[in-house]
Amino acid sequence: MTAALRVENLQVIRQSRAGRFTLSVRDLALRPGEVLAVLGPNGSGKSTLLRVLAGLESPAAGRVERQATGPVTMVFQRPIAFAGTVDHNVRIALRSIGLAPSEIRRRVDDSLGHFGIAALAERRADRLSGGELRRLVLARAFALEPAVLLLDEPFDDLDHEAQELLSRDLRQAVAQTRVAVAVVTHDLRRAVGVCDRIAVLCNGALQQVDSRRTVLERPCSPTVARLVGMTNLVAATLGAHDTAIVDPEHQLPTAGAGPPGAEVWIGIRPEHLKVDVGRGEGESIGKAVVDSIASDSVLTTLSLRWAGTLLRTHLVAGRGLAREIAVGDAVSLSVRREDVHVLPRGQDAARADR
Amino acid sequence: MHELHSSDLLEITLRTLSVCLTALLIALAIGVPIGIALGRRQFPGRRALLGVINSGMGAPPIVVGLIVAQMFFRNGLLGRLELWYSVEAMVTAQVLIALPLIVALVIAAVSALDVDWELQVRTLGISARWRTWLLLREIRLGLLAAVIAALGGILSEVGAVMQTGGNLEGETRVLTTAILMYTNMGLFESAYALAAILVGLMLTLAGLLTWVQYGARS
Repeated sequence: MTAALRVENLQVIRQSRAGRFTLSVRDLALRPGEVLAVLGPNGSGKSTLLRVLAGLESPAAGRVERQATGPVTMVFQRPIAFAGTVDHNVRIALRSIGLAPSEIRRRVDDSLGHFGIAALAERRADRLSGGELRRLVLARAFALEPAVLLLDEPFDDLDHEAQELLSRDLRQAVAQTRVAVAVVTHDLRRAVGVCDRIAVLCNGALQQVDSRRTVLERPCSPTVARLVGMTNLVAATLGAHDTAIVDPEHQLPTAGAGPPGAEVWIGIRPEHLKVDVGRGEGESIGKAVVDSIASDSVLTTLSLRWAGTLLRTHLVAGRGLAREIAVGDAVSLSVRREDVHVLPRGQDAARADR
Repeated sequence: MHELHSSDLLEITLRTLSVCLTALLIALAIGVPIGIALGRRQFPGRRALLGVINSGMGAPPIVVGLIVAQMFFRNGLLGRLELWYSVEAMVTAQVLIALPLIVALVIAAVSALDVDWELQVRTLGISARWRTWLLLREIRLGLLAAVIAALGGILSEVGAVMQTGGNLEGETRVLTTAILMYTNMGLFESAYALAAILVGLMLTLAGLLTWVQYGARS
Protein backbone atom coordinates (compact mmCIF):
# COMPACT_ATOMS: atom_id res chain seq x y z
CA MET A 1 0.00 0.00 0.00
CA THR A 2 1.28 3.47 -0.80
CA ALA A 3 1.99 5.55 2.26
CA ALA A 4 0.55 9.04 2.75
CA LEU A 5 3.57 9.97 4.84
CA ARG A 6 6.82 8.09 5.20
CA VAL A 7 9.67 8.57 7.64
CA GLU A 8 13.12 7.24 6.87
CA ASN A 9 16.22 7.14 9.07
CA LEU A 10 14.87 9.93 11.19
CA GLN A 11 16.90 11.34 14.01
CA VAL A 12 15.80 14.15 16.31
CA ILE A 13 18.10 15.45 19.00
CA ARG A 14 16.89 17.55 21.89
CA GLN A 15 19.14 19.16 24.39
CA SER A 16 17.54 20.23 27.63
CA ARG A 17 18.45 20.71 31.28
CA ALA A 18 17.50 17.09 31.89
CA GLY A 19 20.12 16.03 29.34
CA ARG A 20 20.26 14.92 25.76
CA PHE A 21 17.33 13.07 24.23
CA THR A 22 17.54 11.32 20.90
CA LEU A 23 14.60 10.02 18.92
CA SER A 24 15.44 7.56 16.15
CA VAL A 25 12.97 6.06 13.73
CA ARG A 26 14.38 3.94 10.92
CA ASP A 27 11.21 3.45 8.93
CA LEU A 28 7.59 4.33 9.62
CA ALA A 29 4.70 4.82 7.19
CA LEU A 30 1.23 6.27 7.66
CA ARG A 31 -1.22 4.71 5.23
CA PRO A 32 -4.45 6.19 3.84
CA GLY A 33 -7.57 5.09 5.70
CA GLU A 34 -5.56 3.61 8.54
CA VAL A 35 -5.12 4.59 12.17
CA LEU A 36 -1.66 4.03 13.63
CA ALA A 37 -1.43 4.27 17.41
CA VAL A 38 1.93 5.46 18.72
CA LEU A 39 2.18 3.96 22.18
CA GLY A 40 4.82 4.59 24.80
CA PRO A 41 5.45 5.77 28.34
CA ASN A 42 5.77 9.47 29.19
CA GLY A 43 8.99 10.90 27.83
CA SER A 44 9.44 8.20 25.21
CA GLY A 45 9.38 10.74 22.37
CA LYS A 46 5.79 10.30 21.14
CA SER A 47 4.89 13.98 21.00
CA THR A 48 8.28 14.85 19.50
CA LEU A 49 7.67 12.33 16.73
CA LEU A 50 4.25 13.84 16.08
CA ARG A 51 5.68 17.36 15.88
CA VAL A 52 8.30 16.25 13.40
CA LEU A 53 5.64 14.52 11.28
CA ALA A 54 3.61 17.75 11.40
CA GLY A 55 6.62 19.74 10.21
CA LEU A 56 6.73 21.79 13.40
CA GLU A 57 10.22 20.52 14.25
CA SER A 58 13.09 19.70 11.95
CA PRO A 59 14.95 16.42 12.29
CA ALA A 60 18.73 16.39 12.74
CA ALA A 61 18.93 13.64 10.11
CA GLY A 62 16.65 11.61 7.87
CA ARG A 63 13.56 12.73 6.07
CA VAL A 64 9.80 12.98 6.29
CA GLU A 65 8.33 12.38 2.86
CA ARG A 66 4.78 13.33 1.96
CA GLN A 67 3.50 10.97 -0.67
CA ALA A 68 -0.13 12.08 -0.78
CA THR A 69 -1.57 15.42 -1.82
CA GLY A 70 -3.50 17.32 0.80
CA PRO A 71 -2.48 19.05 4.00
CA VAL A 72 -0.91 17.51 7.09
CA THR A 73 -2.71 18.76 10.16
CA MET A 74 -2.41 18.13 13.87
CA VAL A 75 -4.69 18.25 16.90
CA PHE A 76 -2.84 19.09 20.10
CA GLN A 77 -3.20 17.52 23.52
CA ARG A 78 -4.67 20.75 24.90
CA PRO A 79 -6.69 21.89 21.92
CA ILE A 80 -7.77 25.50 21.57
CA ALA A 81 -11.07 26.84 20.29
CA PHE A 82 -11.26 30.30 18.80
CA ALA A 83 -13.62 32.93 20.17
CA GLY A 84 -16.97 32.55 18.43
CA THR A 85 -19.36 29.78 17.54
CA VAL A 86 -18.64 26.15 16.68
CA ASP A 87 -19.54 26.94 13.08
CA HIS A 88 -17.09 29.88 13.03
CA ASN A 89 -14.32 27.65 14.41
CA VAL A 90 -14.65 25.15 11.58
CA ARG A 91 -15.24 27.82 8.94
CA ILE A 92 -12.31 30.11 9.75
CA ALA A 93 -9.50 27.94 8.37
CA LEU A 94 -11.51 27.17 5.24
CA ARG A 95 -12.10 30.88 4.62
CA SER A 96 -8.43 31.66 5.10
CA ILE A 97 -7.44 29.25 2.33
CA GLY A 98 -9.91 30.95 0.02
CA LEU A 99 -12.50 28.24 -0.63
CA ALA A 100 -15.81 29.10 -2.29
CA PRO A 101 -18.74 29.70 0.11
CA SER A 102 -20.65 26.66 -1.18
CA GLU A 103 -17.62 24.42 -0.65
CA ILE A 104 -17.12 25.85 2.83
CA ARG A 105 -20.79 25.16 3.68
CA ARG A 106 -20.50 21.56 2.45
CA ARG A 107 -17.31 20.86 4.41
CA VAL A 108 -18.61 22.47 7.60
CA ASP A 109 -21.85 20.46 7.42
CA ASP A 110 -20.01 17.21 6.63
CA SER A 111 -17.42 17.50 9.36
CA LEU A 112 -19.85 18.63 12.07
CA GLY A 113 -22.06 15.69 11.00
CA HIS A 114 -19.16 13.21 11.21
CA PHE A 115 -18.61 14.12 14.84
CA GLY A 116 -22.25 14.48 15.84
CA ILE A 117 -22.12 18.18 16.73
CA ALA A 118 -24.24 19.65 13.91
CA ALA A 119 -26.82 20.67 16.53
CA LEU A 120 -24.13 22.69 18.36
CA ALA A 121 -23.16 24.77 15.30
CA GLU A 122 -24.41 28.03 16.79
CA ARG A 123 -23.14 27.29 20.32
CA ARG A 124 -20.27 29.45 21.57
CA ALA A 125 -17.09 27.39 21.57
CA ASP A 126 -16.14 28.47 25.10
CA ARG A 127 -19.41 27.00 26.40
CA LEU A 128 -18.63 23.47 25.18
CA SER A 129 -17.95 20.54 27.50
CA GLY A 130 -14.56 18.80 27.32
CA GLY A 131 -15.97 16.05 25.10
CA GLU A 132 -17.70 18.52 22.79
CA LEU A 133 -14.49 20.53 22.45
CA ARG A 134 -12.60 17.37 21.44
CA ARG A 135 -15.25 16.75 18.81
CA LEU A 136 -15.06 20.33 17.59
CA VAL A 137 -11.29 20.28 17.06
CA LEU A 138 -11.53 16.94 15.24
CA ALA A 139 -14.31 18.31 13.01
CA ARG A 140 -12.20 21.43 12.38
CA ALA A 141 -9.24 19.28 11.33
CA PHE A 142 -11.36 16.98 9.13
CA ALA A 143 -12.91 19.98 7.36
CA LEU A 144 -9.46 20.73 5.91
CA GLU A 145 -9.72 17.33 4.16
CA PRO A 146 -6.17 16.46 5.21
CA ALA A 147 -4.10 13.64 3.73
CA VAL A 148 -2.53 13.11 7.15
CA LEU A 149 -4.04 13.81 10.55
CA LEU A 150 -1.90 13.70 13.70
CA LEU A 151 -3.66 13.44 17.05
CA ASP A 152 -1.87 14.01 20.36
CA GLU A 153 -3.76 12.26 23.19
CA PRO A 154 -7.18 12.95 21.64
CA PHE A 155 -9.06 11.14 24.41
CA ASP A 156 -7.46 12.91 27.34
CA ASP A 157 -9.87 13.85 30.15
CA LEU A 158 -12.77 11.92 28.65
CA ASP A 159 -14.73 9.32 30.58
CA HIS A 160 -14.82 5.79 29.26
CA GLU A 161 -18.15 6.07 27.47
CA ALA A 162 -17.23 9.36 25.80
CA GLN A 163 -13.95 7.77 24.65
CA GLU A 164 -15.76 4.85 23.10
CA LEU A 165 -18.22 7.05 21.24
CA LEU A 166 -15.48 9.36 20.00
CA SER A 167 -13.38 6.36 18.88
CA ARG A 168 -16.34 5.05 16.93
CA ASP A 169 -16.98 8.40 15.20
CA LEU A 170 -13.29 8.84 14.47
CA ARG A 171 -13.09 5.37 12.90
CA GLN A 172 -16.11 6.10 10.72
CA ALA A 173 -14.74 9.45 9.61
CA VAL A 174 -11.37 7.85 8.76
CA ALA A 175 -13.06 5.10 6.75
CA GLN A 176 -15.09 7.64 4.76
CA THR A 177 -12.33 10.17 4.11
CA ARG A 178 -9.35 7.78 3.71
CA VAL A 179 -7.16 10.10 5.76
CA ALA A 180 -3.99 8.60 7.26
CA VAL A 181 -4.09 9.04 11.04
CA ALA A 182 -1.45 8.75 13.75
CA VAL A 183 -2.75 8.80 17.33
CA VAL A 184 -0.29 9.34 20.14
CA THR A 185 -1.33 7.97 23.51
CA HIS A 186 0.16 6.56 26.68
CA ASP A 187 -3.04 4.63 27.34
CA LEU A 188 -3.14 1.12 25.92
CA ARG A 189 -6.90 0.67 26.13
CA ARG A 190 -7.54 3.90 24.26
CA ALA A 191 -5.01 2.96 21.60
CA VAL A 192 -6.43 -0.52 21.08
CA GLY A 193 -9.95 0.86 20.79
CA VAL A 194 -9.17 3.04 17.80
CA CYS A 195 -6.22 1.71 15.82
CA ASP A 196 -5.33 -0.75 13.05
CA ARG A 197 -1.61 -0.84 13.76
CA ILE A 198 0.46 -0.07 16.83
CA ALA A 199 3.92 1.48 16.94
CA VAL A 200 5.63 1.10 20.32
CA LEU A 201 8.11 3.80 21.24
CA CYS A 202 10.44 3.51 24.21
CA ASN A 203 13.36 5.74 25.24
CA GLY A 204 13.28 7.46 21.86
CA ALA A 205 13.53 4.23 19.84
CA LEU A 206 10.83 2.49 17.85
CA GLN A 207 10.58 -1.01 19.32
CA GLN A 208 7.90 -2.63 17.21
CA VAL A 209 5.42 -1.65 14.49
CA ASP A 210 2.82 -4.24 13.64
CA SER A 211 -0.86 -4.99 13.40
CA ARG A 212 -2.76 -4.43 16.61
CA ARG A 213 -3.21 -8.14 17.23
CA THR A 214 0.43 -9.01 16.59
CA VAL A 215 1.72 -6.35 18.95
CA LEU A 216 -0.72 -7.38 21.68
CA GLU A 217 -0.15 -11.12 21.39
CA ARG A 218 3.38 -11.32 19.99
CA PRO A 219 5.35 -8.42 21.47
CA CYS A 220 8.96 -8.43 20.32
CA SER A 221 10.56 -7.88 23.73
CA PRO A 222 9.71 -7.97 27.44
CA THR A 223 9.69 -4.16 27.44
CA VAL A 224 7.07 -4.04 24.72
CA ALA A 225 5.20 -6.93 26.38
CA ARG A 226 4.79 -4.91 29.57
CA LEU A 227 3.76 -1.78 27.68
CA VAL A 228 1.04 -3.64 25.80
CA GLY A 229 -0.37 -5.30 28.88
CA MET A 230 1.32 -8.70 28.73
CA THR A 231 2.18 -8.34 32.37
CA ASN A 232 2.78 -12.01 33.21
CA LEU A 233 6.46 -12.53 32.39
CA VAL A 234 8.17 -15.62 33.73
CA ALA A 235 11.79 -16.71 33.19
CA ALA A 236 11.97 -20.27 31.83
CA THR A 237 14.10 -22.73 29.88
CA LEU A 238 12.74 -24.40 26.79
CA GLY A 239 12.30 -28.14 27.23
CA ALA A 240 11.61 -30.97 24.82
CA HIS A 241 8.10 -31.65 23.46
CA ASP A 242 6.94 -28.04 23.21
CA THR A 243 7.25 -27.11 26.86
CA ALA A 244 8.93 -24.37 28.84
CA ILE A 245 10.33 -25.38 32.22
CA VAL A 246 9.97 -22.78 34.96
CA ASP A 247 11.16 -25.07 37.76
CA PRO A 248 11.10 -28.87 38.30
CA GLU A 249 7.43 -28.74 39.34
CA HIS A 250 6.14 -26.14 36.89
CA GLN A 251 5.94 -26.30 33.13
CA LEU A 252 4.12 -24.29 30.48
CA PRO A 253 2.92 -25.50 27.09
CA THR A 254 4.53 -23.71 24.12
CA ALA A 255 4.21 -23.97 20.37
CA GLY A 256 7.70 -24.86 19.11
CA ALA A 257 9.54 -21.64 19.80
CA GLY A 258 13.20 -22.63 19.88
CA PRO A 259 15.80 -25.25 20.65
CA PRO A 260 15.58 -27.11 23.98
CA GLY A 261 17.80 -25.52 26.62
CA ALA A 262 17.26 -21.96 25.38
CA GLU A 263 16.70 -19.42 28.14
CA VAL A 264 13.55 -17.45 27.46
CA TRP A 265 10.86 -15.22 28.90
CA ILE A 266 7.34 -16.57 28.82
CA GLY A 267 4.64 -13.95 28.37
CA ILE A 268 0.96 -14.58 29.05
CA ARG A 269 -1.71 -11.86 28.86
CA PRO A 270 -3.75 -11.78 32.10
CA GLU A 271 -6.98 -12.34 30.19
CA HIS A 272 -5.55 -15.54 28.72
CA LEU A 273 -4.81 -17.11 32.08
CA LYS A 274 -7.84 -19.09 33.31
CA VAL A 275 -8.50 -19.92 36.92
CA ASP A 276 -10.56 -22.98 37.91
CA VAL A 277 -10.26 -25.85 35.46
CA GLY A 278 -12.83 -28.26 34.06
CA ARG A 279 -14.16 -26.28 31.11
CA GLY A 280 -12.02 -27.97 28.48
CA GLU A 281 -10.26 -24.67 27.79
CA GLY A 282 -6.48 -24.86 27.63
CA GLU A 283 -3.99 -27.00 29.47
CA SER A 284 -3.67 -27.16 33.21
CA ILE A 285 -0.43 -25.68 34.52
CA GLY A 286 -1.05 -26.60 38.16
CA LYS A 287 -2.22 -24.97 41.37
CA ALA A 288 -1.73 -21.39 42.48
CA VAL A 289 -2.58 -19.50 45.66
CA VAL A 290 -4.50 -16.22 45.60
CA ASP A 291 -2.11 -13.56 46.89
CA SER A 292 -4.30 -10.47 46.54
CA ILE A 293 -7.55 -9.31 44.96
CA ALA A 294 -8.32 -5.88 43.48
CA SER A 295 -11.64 -4.90 41.94
CA ASP A 296 -13.02 -1.99 39.98
CA SER A 297 -16.54 -1.76 38.57
CA VAL A 298 -15.70 -3.94 35.60
CA LEU A 299 -12.85 -6.27 36.45
CA THR A 300 -11.55 -8.20 39.42
CA THR A 301 -7.79 -8.66 39.17
CA LEU A 302 -6.27 -11.63 40.95
CA SER A 303 -2.59 -11.87 41.84
CA LEU A 304 -1.69 -15.54 42.03
CA ARG A 305 1.44 -17.07 43.52
CA TRP A 306 2.69 -19.71 41.14
CA ALA A 307 6.20 -21.19 40.81
CA GLY A 308 7.66 -18.54 43.09
CA THR A 309 6.33 -15.67 40.99
CA LEU A 310 3.15 -13.60 40.83
CA LEU A 311 0.81 -14.04 37.87
CA ARG A 312 -2.16 -11.81 37.20
CA THR A 313 -5.53 -12.65 35.71
CA HIS A 314 -8.85 -10.88 35.31
CA LEU A 315 -12.37 -11.99 36.13
CA VAL A 316 -15.61 -10.17 35.41
CA ALA A 317 -16.28 -8.28 38.64
CA GLY A 318 -19.17 -9.35 40.85
CA ARG A 319 -19.93 -12.60 39.02
CA GLY A 320 -19.26 -16.30 39.62
CA LEU A 321 -15.81 -17.00 40.92
CA ALA A 322 -15.05 -13.31 41.47
CA ARG A 323 -17.69 -13.23 44.21
CA GLU A 324 -16.54 -16.37 45.97
CA ILE A 325 -12.78 -16.20 45.80
CA ALA A 326 -10.70 -15.06 48.80
CA VAL A 327 -7.04 -14.40 49.54
CA GLY A 328 -5.26 -17.67 50.42
CA ASP A 329 -7.56 -19.85 48.29
CA ALA A 330 -5.92 -22.49 46.11
CA VAL A 331 -7.06 -22.41 42.49
CA SER A 332 -6.22 -24.36 39.35
CA LEU A 333 -4.61 -22.49 36.47
CA SER A 334 -4.82 -23.25 32.77
CA VAL A 335 -3.74 -21.59 29.58
CA ARG A 336 -4.12 -22.37 25.87
CA ARG A 337 -0.89 -23.33 24.17
CA GLU A 338 -1.27 -20.61 21.51
CA ASP A 339 -1.64 -17.97 24.22
CA VAL A 340 1.81 -18.71 25.66
CA HIS A 341 4.28 -16.32 24.04
CA VAL A 342 7.98 -17.10 24.06
CA LEU A 343 10.38 -14.13 24.12
CA PRO A 344 14.15 -14.29 23.76
CA ARG A 345 16.04 -13.67 27.02
CA GLY A 346 19.01 -11.55 26.00
CA GLN A 347 19.95 -7.95 26.63
CA ASP A 348 16.32 -7.21 27.28
CA ALA A 349 16.27 -9.33 30.43
CA ALA A 350 17.65 -6.59 32.64
CA ARG A 351 15.06 -4.12 31.38
CA ALA A 352 12.21 -6.55 31.99
CA ASP A 353 13.37 -7.09 35.54
CA ARG A 354 13.18 -3.42 36.37
CA MET B 1 -12.30 88.64 28.79
CA HIS B 2 -11.85 85.54 30.90
CA GLU B 3 -15.53 84.63 30.93
CA LEU B 4 -16.23 81.23 29.46
CA HIS B 5 -18.45 81.32 26.35
CA SER B 6 -20.36 78.37 25.01
CA SER B 7 -18.37 78.55 21.75
CA ASP B 8 -15.15 78.24 23.81
CA LEU B 9 -16.67 75.32 25.61
CA LEU B 10 -17.31 73.44 22.39
CA GLU B 11 -13.90 74.30 20.97
CA ILE B 12 -12.06 73.18 24.11
CA THR B 13 -14.05 69.96 24.29
CA LEU B 14 -13.45 69.11 20.64
CA ARG B 15 -9.74 69.87 20.98
CA THR B 16 -9.53 67.66 24.08
CA LEU B 17 -11.20 64.80 22.25
CA SER B 18 -9.08 65.24 19.16
CA VAL B 19 -5.79 65.38 21.11
CA CYS B 20 -6.67 62.36 23.26
CA LEU B 21 -8.02 60.20 20.45
CA THR B 22 -5.07 61.00 18.19
CA ALA B 23 -2.65 60.10 20.99
CA LEU B 24 -4.64 56.92 21.72
CA LEU B 25 -4.59 55.79 18.08
CA ILE B 26 -0.86 56.43 17.74
CA ALA B 27 -0.15 54.65 21.03
CA LEU B 28 -2.27 51.68 19.93
CA ALA B 29 -0.58 51.52 16.53
CA ILE B 30 2.83 51.40 18.20
CA GLY B 31 1.96 49.57 21.42
CA VAL B 32 -0.16 46.65 20.18
CA PRO B 33 2.47 45.18 17.80
CA ILE B 34 5.16 45.66 20.47
CA GLY B 35 2.93 44.01 23.10
CA ILE B 36 2.15 41.06 20.81
CA ALA B 37 5.82 40.57 19.93
CA LEU B 38 6.97 40.76 23.55
CA GLY B 39 4.12 38.56 24.76
CA ARG B 40 4.88 35.74 22.34
CA ARG B 41 8.66 35.68 22.05
CA GLN B 42 11.23 34.51 24.53
CA PHE B 43 14.62 36.20 24.36
CA PRO B 44 17.45 37.09 26.72
CA GLY B 45 16.65 40.18 28.74
CA ARG B 46 12.89 39.82 28.24
CA ARG B 47 12.20 39.90 31.96
CA ALA B 48 14.23 43.07 32.43
CA LEU B 49 12.41 44.72 29.54
CA LEU B 50 9.02 43.76 31.01
CA GLY B 51 10.16 45.30 34.28
CA VAL B 52 10.99 48.57 32.51
CA ILE B 53 7.59 48.59 30.80
CA ASN B 54 5.75 47.85 34.03
CA SER B 55 7.54 50.63 35.83
CA GLY B 56 6.71 52.87 32.84
CA MET B 57 3.05 52.40 33.73
CA GLY B 58 3.71 54.20 36.96
CA ALA B 59 5.96 56.91 35.50
CA PRO B 60 4.91 60.36 36.81
CA PRO B 61 3.31 62.23 33.87
CA ILE B 62 4.91 65.44 35.09
CA VAL B 63 8.34 63.91 34.38
CA VAL B 64 7.22 62.73 30.94
CA GLY B 65 5.93 66.25 30.30
CA LEU B 66 9.24 67.73 31.44
CA ILE B 67 11.25 65.56 29.07
CA VAL B 68 8.97 66.20 26.08
CA ALA B 69 8.83 69.93 26.79
CA GLN B 70 12.59 70.14 26.96
CA MET B 71 12.89 68.13 23.74
CA PHE B 72 10.70 70.61 21.86
CA PHE B 73 12.21 73.71 23.54
CA ARG B 74 14.06 76.11 21.24
CA ASN B 75 17.52 74.63 21.87
CA GLY B 76 16.17 71.11 22.54
CA LEU B 77 16.72 67.95 20.52
CA LEU B 78 13.69 68.65 18.31
CA GLY B 79 13.73 72.43 18.78
CA ARG B 80 14.03 73.23 15.11
CA LEU B 81 10.59 71.69 14.50
CA GLU B 82 9.21 74.72 16.38
CA LEU B 83 6.60 72.63 18.15
CA TRP B 84 7.05 74.04 21.63
CA TYR B 85 3.60 74.74 23.08
CA SER B 86 1.79 72.93 20.30
CA VAL B 87 -0.88 70.27 19.93
CA GLU B 88 1.77 67.98 18.45
CA ALA B 89 3.91 68.28 21.59
CA MET B 90 0.85 67.50 23.74
CA VAL B 91 0.05 64.44 21.63
CA THR B 92 3.67 63.29 21.94
CA ALA B 93 3.54 63.49 25.74
CA GLN B 94 0.23 61.64 25.86
CA VAL B 95 1.48 58.90 23.55
CA LEU B 96 4.43 58.36 25.90
CA ILE B 97 2.09 58.21 28.90
CA ALA B 98 -0.33 55.77 27.22
CA LEU B 99 2.27 53.51 25.59
CA PRO B 100 3.49 51.52 28.65
CA LEU B 101 -0.11 50.91 29.73
CA ILE B 102 -1.06 49.54 26.33
CA VAL B 103 2.09 47.45 25.89
CA ALA B 104 1.83 45.94 29.39
CA LEU B 105 -1.87 45.04 29.07
CA VAL B 106 -1.40 43.54 25.59
CA ILE B 107 1.56 41.48 26.87
CA ALA B 108 -0.63 40.19 29.69
CA ALA B 109 -3.44 39.27 27.28
CA VAL B 110 -1.10 37.50 24.84
CA SER B 111 0.72 35.65 27.63
CA ALA B 112 -2.61 34.25 28.82
CA LEU B 113 -3.05 32.36 25.54
CA ASP B 114 -1.99 28.71 25.32
CA VAL B 115 1.78 28.36 24.75
CA ASP B 116 1.02 26.37 21.61
CA TRP B 117 -1.57 28.83 20.31
CA GLU B 118 0.47 29.94 17.33
CA LEU B 119 1.52 26.37 16.40
CA GLN B 120 -2.05 25.15 16.63
CA VAL B 121 -3.24 27.90 14.31
CA ARG B 122 -0.40 27.20 11.91
CA THR B 123 -1.22 23.48 11.70
CA LEU B 124 -4.69 24.49 10.49
CA GLY B 125 -3.02 26.11 7.47
CA ILE B 126 -4.23 29.59 8.44
CA SER B 127 -2.28 32.36 6.69
CA ALA B 128 -0.25 34.98 8.55
CA ARG B 129 -2.76 37.78 7.86
CA TRP B 130 -5.65 35.70 9.25
CA ARG B 131 -3.54 34.56 12.19
CA THR B 132 -3.05 38.20 13.20
CA TRP B 133 -6.78 38.85 12.91
CA LEU B 134 -7.56 35.73 14.99
CA LEU B 135 -5.01 36.79 17.61
CA LEU B 136 -6.52 40.28 17.93
CA ARG B 137 -9.94 38.65 18.34
CA GLU B 138 -8.62 36.35 21.05
CA ILE B 139 -7.07 39.21 23.04
CA ARG B 140 -9.95 41.65 22.46
CA LEU B 141 -10.83 41.88 26.16
CA GLY B 142 -7.24 42.77 27.00
CA LEU B 143 -7.22 45.31 24.17
CA LEU B 144 -10.36 46.98 25.49
CA ALA B 145 -8.89 47.09 28.97
CA ALA B 146 -5.81 48.75 27.47
CA VAL B 147 -7.96 51.32 25.64
CA ILE B 148 -9.97 52.15 28.78
CA ALA B 149 -6.85 52.46 30.93
CA ALA B 150 -4.98 54.59 28.38
CA LEU B 151 -7.91 56.86 27.64
CA GLY B 152 -8.63 57.36 31.32
CA GLY B 153 -4.99 58.28 31.89
CA ILE B 154 -4.59 60.80 29.09
CA LEU B 155 -8.04 62.39 29.28
CA SER B 156 -7.51 63.45 32.88
CA GLU B 157 -3.87 64.36 32.37
CA VAL B 158 -3.05 67.95 33.29
CA GLY B 159 0.63 68.37 34.19
CA ALA B 160 2.19 67.05 31.03
CA VAL B 161 -0.25 68.84 28.69
CA MET B 162 0.33 72.08 30.54
CA GLN B 163 4.12 71.69 30.19
CA THR B 164 3.97 70.79 26.50
CA GLY B 165 0.91 72.79 25.35
CA GLY B 166 1.03 75.81 27.61
CA ASN B 167 -2.79 76.27 27.73
CA LEU B 168 -2.74 78.80 24.85
CA GLU B 169 -6.21 80.14 24.16
CA GLY B 170 -7.59 78.94 20.83
CA GLU B 171 -4.54 76.74 20.28
CA THR B 172 -3.64 74.28 22.99
CA ARG B 173 -6.26 74.83 25.69
CA VAL B 174 -7.92 71.57 26.70
CA LEU B 175 -10.46 70.75 29.42
CA THR B 176 -7.98 69.94 32.18
CA THR B 177 -5.73 72.96 31.63
CA ALA B 178 -8.77 75.24 31.32
CA ILE B 179 -10.18 73.90 34.62
CA LEU B 180 -6.84 74.54 36.26
CA MET B 181 -6.75 78.09 34.93
CA TYR B 182 -10.29 79.00 35.98
CA THR B 183 -9.70 77.50 39.42
CA ASN B 184 -6.58 79.63 39.85
CA MET B 185 -8.58 82.68 38.79
CA GLY B 186 -11.35 81.92 41.26
CA LEU B 187 -13.90 81.54 38.45
CA PHE B 188 -15.41 78.44 39.91
CA GLU B 189 -18.58 78.49 37.82
CA SER B 190 -16.60 78.19 34.60
CA ALA B 191 -14.31 75.59 36.17
CA TYR B 192 -17.30 73.51 37.23
CA ALA B 193 -18.90 73.76 33.79
CA LEU B 194 -15.72 72.38 32.23
CA ALA B 195 -15.37 69.78 34.97
CA ALA B 196 -18.91 68.59 34.30
CA ILE B 197 -18.06 68.11 30.63
CA LEU B 198 -14.83 66.26 31.47
CA VAL B 199 -16.62 63.93 33.89
CA GLY B 200 -19.44 63.47 31.35
CA LEU B 201 -16.92 62.57 28.65
CA MET B 202 -15.17 60.07 30.93
CA LEU B 203 -18.43 58.44 31.96
CA THR B 204 -19.69 58.25 28.37
CA LEU B 205 -16.47 56.75 27.03
CA ALA B 206 -16.06 54.32 29.93
CA GLY B 207 -19.71 53.31 29.63
CA LEU B 208 -19.42 52.84 25.89
CA LEU B 209 -16.27 50.73 26.18
CA THR B 210 -17.71 48.67 29.02
CA TRP B 211 -20.75 48.00 26.88
CA VAL B 212 -18.50 46.94 23.98
CA GLN B 213 -16.45 44.79 26.38
CA TYR B 214 -19.58 43.13 27.68
CA GLY B 215 -20.62 42.43 24.10
CA ALA B 216 -17.19 41.05 23.29
CA ARG B 217 -17.40 38.64 26.18
CA SER B 218 -20.83 37.23 25.29
